[in-house]
Amino acid sequence: MKRVLIFAVAALSSAPLAAQRTDVAAQLNGRVPAGVIQAAQVLADSAVLAGVPVSPLVQKALEGAAKNIPADRVIAALQTLFSREVTALGALRQGGVTSPDAAGVEGASFAMGAGLSASDVTTIARAGGTVYAASTTMRVAGTLAAVGVPAAGTVRLVSAALAAGVAPGDLGTFPGSVESAVARGMTPAQAAEGLARATQARNGVPPGQGRPGPRPKGS
Amino acid sequence: MTKIEEHPLEKDEAFVRLLSTLDRSEVRLSDDLDRRVMAEVRRRAAAREARRGWRWWVAPRDVRLVIRPWMVGAGLAAAAGIVAIVARPQSGNLPASVAQRAESVFVRFELYAPDARSVSLAGSFNRWNAGATPLVRRDGSGLWTVTVPLPPGTAQYGFMVDGQRWVPDPAAPSVDDGFGRRNSVIAVPGEGRTL
Amino acid sequence: MSEHTERPGRGGNAADAEAVRAVLGGDVERYAELVHRYRDRYARYATQLLGSVDAAEDAVQDAFIRAFDQLSQCREPGQFVNWFFLILRNRCLADRRRGKKRSGLDDVGVALMTAPGMASDRVEQREDVYVLQRALMELTEEQREVFALRHVEGWSYEEIAAQTGASMAALKMRMHRAYEGLRQILRKGE
Repeated sequence: MKRVLIFAVAALSSAPLAAQRTDVAAQLNGRVPAGVIQAAQVLADSAVLAGVPVSPLVQKALEGAAKNIPADRVIAALQTLFSREVTALGALRQGGVTSPDAAGVEGASFAMGAGLSASDVTTIARAGGTVYAASTTMRVAGTLAAVGVPAAGTVRLVSAALAAGVAPGDLGTFPGSVESAVARGMTPAQAAEGLARATQARNGVPPGQGRPGPRPKGS
Repeated sequence: MTKIEEHPLEKDEAFVRLLSTLDRSEVRLSDDLDRRVMAEVRRRAAAREARRGWRWWVAPRDVRLVIRPWMVGAGLAAAAGIVAIVARPQSGNLPASVAQRAESVFVRFELYAPDARSVSLAGSFNRWNAGATPLVRRDGSGLWTVTVPLPPGTAQYGFMVDGQRWVPDPAAPSVDDGFGRRNSVIAVPGEGRTL
Repeated sequence: MSEHTERPGRGGNAADAEAVRAVLGGDVERYAELVHRYRDRYARYATQLLGSVDAAEDAVQDAFIRAFDQLSQCREPGQFVNWFFLILRNRCLADRRRGKKRSGLDDVGVALMTAPGMASDRVEQREDVYVLQRALMELTEEQREVFALRHVEGWSYEEIAAQTGASMAALKMRMHRAYEGLRQILRKGE
């Protein structure tokens, strides 16, 4: 039921939130019922005001149409998604990320959709310190949760890695490592704990050896 | 309603008496049948994941190619040839910018569904357009596949079978989709770019 | 001695559908619900077909595992049990292709008589059961199957046709052959 994943940095849009289009009808016409378009438009306007990304709402509306979900359930899902984005934004700010970009909020929202709580998001955000890439870290966290690592284990693994100086871009191999361990018979929780310990041990290396910071470009 | 003619035996007294002696009591199988089945089921699920993971890691005949400018420019003819062939964009399913973006990664999706009449891929990378990315059935088998270029990052997806049945990828991790079903999650590798 | 028979149904079952989808979505542990719900449903049928409870247990276990392997092919998750029946049926009928000779007289008799759930209190009845059950084991699998579905499970011919995919004409032929076969076998024993 699981696939080994390789994961690096998410190259998502880093567009400032204020500059996003709010005209969702153009993207949804012809694919989504009118009632859903109206609801999506209202939520999109609210999203801009709240400072959260609009495109996940558009995507969710399209998804609902593709799956033939009744309009009222799609609208309910959109409302849930919107409020989750707002919560995610707040959680990131609580964790010290003063102006998260669209990708960061999307990532945190994805992580919460995968089972992490707002305070989990805050804890992970805080562990990032000054070198912090909200989007990547949150996507890795969400993917770990999707792979089956319980929320507490996910928070522990990601926070421990960040605290040990692992660059967010290098967190990407974690879900794959957990899956390999699960395929060999460990539970996701055990695999995550083992990986956390190994990461800490590896990064207890004296300065000058091992990776000191962000991976150089072009490698 | 077709009627099956009665056979003379059904009226034979002796036979009817014999019939009534047939033991019709319920048969109960042993208690640990459940445990044995689930042990094997878990083993197979894990083995299946390991096999798929292995397939991801083994590069040689894999169609998972990373397109990087330096690779094409370096004149690796075979690689460039493969890239050129596979790079033909699927009709109308992806914005052109994605297909041409240098860091797109080709990912092959597969679903084993021998009784399906059609299978298509819908996800965040093709705007959940269930008609746009059909899978193709491999001759003589029940395996449906398609290869698409994906931008780096996380995406959610699933398979639409026969236009109406949503099937998440049995081989991938999944998340709740907000509609009471599941979406599969895939993380696509890409060039490092710190934010 | 209970005589509970499950009617084969076409109605669909939401709980099964949900469990199947959950398993397909990655939650392997949910499969245990389906195993638990249906583990004994066709145990008697498999016992009739194969001649012993041990063989039936092997077949049911195999069938559940096969069903798990092929779960993505279950077109109507709400009708998992009907689809599972077909897998079990195939597994039982495939036994003969493995060249398994039907056990000798004594093995069959002993197996049936010592199986849990088989009435063992009345000696005369035991003898009769022995006679008919043994005679049944000398029929072909398909003939024995129609006979057992009709006279042990109590299904109508329409239900048998719907569940096994056989045509009414084929069923009629098999049933007649079963009767003829039994008539000859029983006569020989007189």
